[in-house]
Amino acid sequence: MERKRSHNEIISDILSIIQEKRGKIKPTHLMYKANLSHAQMKLYLEEMMKMGLLAKVEAMIEITKKGREFFLKYQQMKEFEKTFGL
Amino acid sequence: MKIVFTPDWFLLGDVLIDLISFATLLLFFIFSVKSYKMSKNKKSLYLGIGFLLIALAELAVIFTKFILYYDTGVTQTIGQMIVTHNVVQSVDIFYYLGFFFHKFFTLIGLYIIYMIPVEKKSKGEMIIAFYLILLSSILSSGIYYYIFYITALIFLVFIVYRYYRLYETNRSTNSCMLVLALAILGAGFAVMIMSKMSYVYVFGQILQLVSYIILLVLIIRITKHGKEKKPQ
Repeated sequence: MERKRSHNEIISDILSIIQEKRGKIKPTHLMYKANLSHAQMKLYLEEMMKMGLLAKVEAMIEITKKGREFFLKYQQMKEFEKTFGL
Repeated sequence: MKIVFTPDWFLLGDVLIDLISFATLLLFFIFSVKSYKMSKNKKSLYLGIGFLLIALAELAVIFTKFILYYDTGVTQTIGQMIVTHNVVQSVDIFYYLGFFFHKFFTLIGLYIIYMIPVEKKSKGEMIIAFYLILLSSILSSGIYYYIFYITALIFLVFIVYRYYRLYETNRSTNSCMLVLALAILGAGFAVMIMSKMSYVYVFGQILQLVSYIILLVLIIRITKHGKEKKPQ
């Protein structure tokens, strides 16, 4: 059984999923791909929009430039931690 | 008693190698702090502090060597000040203080990096270690210069072993590069134990340069890692 994802891991997963879908995705698709409940997804989307990582454009969730930069930095941090076993 | 073992033809190279080492360590410090800010993982912060201390050690040795190797106005000015106050010769103070801080900060930095994976840290053990590091830094001057290199080598052997065990677990190329870089650095310290001979000193410094170049390549690889994940 996989361990529970951390808060930052879920944010990273959401950003990764949206990036894979060429930067925009329907909320329902995101919910299934990210393996989140409706309530969880709503909370995370609100937080990420507040942080400026995502934006709602018509019926779609889009990743912002800040979101792409955050995702990049998160990947670098994960690789750094993996290299040093932190 | 010869103050430094660098041959005349290697003076500039010696300082350049230390500059590259300092820059690389500073990069690792900055990356560690950025990692800590994002993840709030204290181990990242401690790693950063370790790198910063070793970077400061390199800075101390750069400054000391620069003053010793190149007869600058600073040395002359400080020499006059010291003479005015009837203290020992300025060059001796520069040598001892500069190289003391180099040794002390290097050993403390290596100790911190060594201690990162340790879960239960005993305050008593840390105080004893600090005392032994201080003693080693003070005593390893003159004919006992090798004490510092032996102490640093012992730390590095344990650090390399730890990271080798990590590499065996994650089989990551970056972890492999880290092990290689630290092993070469350790080899450099081992060579430096006999650095009274100038060619041996040069070889030791070259090993240090190779080690830090590998670390520089490593940090570039880590930086590029995120950029490789492009959208489909």
